[in-house]
Amino acid sequence: MMNTIWTIVHKESAQMLRSQRGLLWLLAFSGLLSAFSLLLVSNTELSLLDNAQVVYMMAGTVLAAGALLSAILGSDAYAGEKERGTLVPLLCAPVAPSALLAGKAMGLLAAWGVMFAVATPYLWAVGASGQNLGAALFYLALFGTPVVLGFGYLAMALSARTGSVLASLLSTVTLLMLAASPLIIGPGLRGTAIGRALDAVNPFAGALNTFDSVIIDSDPFSAQTARLLLVIVWLGLCLIAARRSAARPDFQ
Amino acid sequence: MIDIENLRLSIEGKEILKGIDLHLVPGDTYGLLGPNGAGKSTTIFALLGLSAYGSGRISVLGGDPAQHALSIRRSVGVMPEKAGFYDWMTAPDYLKWYGRLYDFSPTDEDVAKMLEKVGLGAVAHRPIGTYSRGMKQRLAVARALTPRPKLLILDEPTNGLDPKGRREIHDLLVEFAADGNAGVLLCTHLLDDVDRLCNRIGIIDNGRTQLEGSITDLLAEQVSGQRYRLRLETAPDTTNLPAGVVMAGHEGGWWRVQVQATPFGEPSALWPELWRRGWKILEIRSEASNLEELYMSHTGQDEAHNREAA
Repeated sequence: MMNTIWTIVHKESAQMLRSQRGLLWLLAFSGLLSAFSLLLVSNTELSLLDNAQVVYMMAGTVLAAGALLSAILGSDAYAGEKERGTLVPLLCAPVAPSALLAGKAMGLLAAWGVMFAVATPYLWAVGASGQNLGAALFYLALFGTPVVLGFGYLAMALSARTGSVLASLLSTVTLLMLAASPLIIGPGLRGTAIGRALDAVNPFAGALNTFDSVIIDSDPFSAQTARLLLVIVWLGLCLIAARRSAARPDFQ
Repeated sequence: MIDIENLRLSIEGKEILKGIDLHLVPGDTYGLLGPNGAGKSTTIFALLGLSAYGSGRISVLGGDPAQHALSIRRSVGVMPEKAGFYDWMTAPDYLKWYGRLYDFSPTDEDVAKMLEKVGLGAVAHRPIGTYSRGMKQRLAVARALTPRPKLLILDEPTNGLDPKGRREIHDLLVEFAADGNAGVLLCTHLLDDVDRLCNRIGIIDNGRTQLEGSITDLLAEQVSGQRYRLRLETAPDTTNLPAGVVMAGHEGGWWRVQVQATPFGEPSALWPELWRRGWKILEIRSEASNLEELYMSHTGQDEAHNREAA
């Protein structure tokens, strides 16, 4: 079982690093971070933003990009393989559905790891002069990983069920935009009853609020346990959905 | 190696397989024939445990695929109809990677030999994305053979191949089947492939097995009479035929008749009798009974074809 999982992880990771598509994505991600960090640094120099605020925004951007990558890779995981004709050969091989799902999820984690590594120097560039870079990196890993993986599992569930990359990607990205809306709507609207209700069940908002709490307000870890529980529950629910769909994927 | 009895399977409430029987023993090269949508691929997916079946019995290599799918697949090499690959990989990398899914690690030498056998040795270093359809088809055969299976299942293996490529794939399959303990299940529309490679066939139509057995026996049974094509000066009166003569169709100026035992003895004595009945025969050609006729007569296409010709 482990051997099969590693074989799939090996392919998924190599696809990310060796295929044109994967390299283009990494290039686009680097370009986004370059432009964003330049913008933030120049704003800092003009004293428009303080250092903690800049690091918070950068961490939120990395999380959003990670979740988007996860939605794309997850949507491609089954439906993309089906459309390229590579799913049936995989299913005809002695690969358990759970091993295939685990391999694909670990490949997604590897891609998130690469993104995290690419983002680290940018975070350092904008936050090295402050006190909160370490906390930003730690909480980005701790909260970002389950959020990103959860979106990946959700996309894989839809991808395996619908057999269509487009349907899966549109559904996941719509949900992602809804989840990321706190980043867009601003603190004023988030203070309303609807905003607070959305924050309470939204894993993406949970991660962002944690970044806000630890990076800007320097709150301790103990203040983050409820939000950590939220993102773990989110990950668990998405995993259950993915396992159910991946047990009998649409391959014909 | 494969025993399927009265297999029934529904997908989303629609009954796709309505009674499939298939029996393949070691040493067999079994041709599974049938028109598009007859249920050939669904049968393959059911025997690999990929589609849950409703009723009937399936045994593959001694196990039920509903319960032992992984252990069965470990001993089965499959070439699905759609030969998809990861375009950014090279053929040797891909075969080694795919072999590992079977807990089998082919050496560089094994892979190079296999690629030579399927005629891809010279292009092995190129990414698979640069391959033509025929080259991918050859690679798909190599993929099915790489884990050294006991049972090989091939869905349209020579589609898109030139005559030389087809011959090479035929040779590979013959070599594989020469080991008397192995079995090959070949799904194809190309009756020439079946004629060259298979010793047994099953014909399925509309989700049911219409016919199954050894080709030699089935063809012998089929010759219950002889077929002739007659070119006539004018359209004949088909309502007044001698005993033992049956109309078998009309196609492009030729009239086909099936001649069974007649009171006239040899068919040569029949032609004057037909002439007396107004058949102005210009030319007579004999048609040997063959696999195509067997196939057509059990898939309902003969009737449709005749209706179209009429």
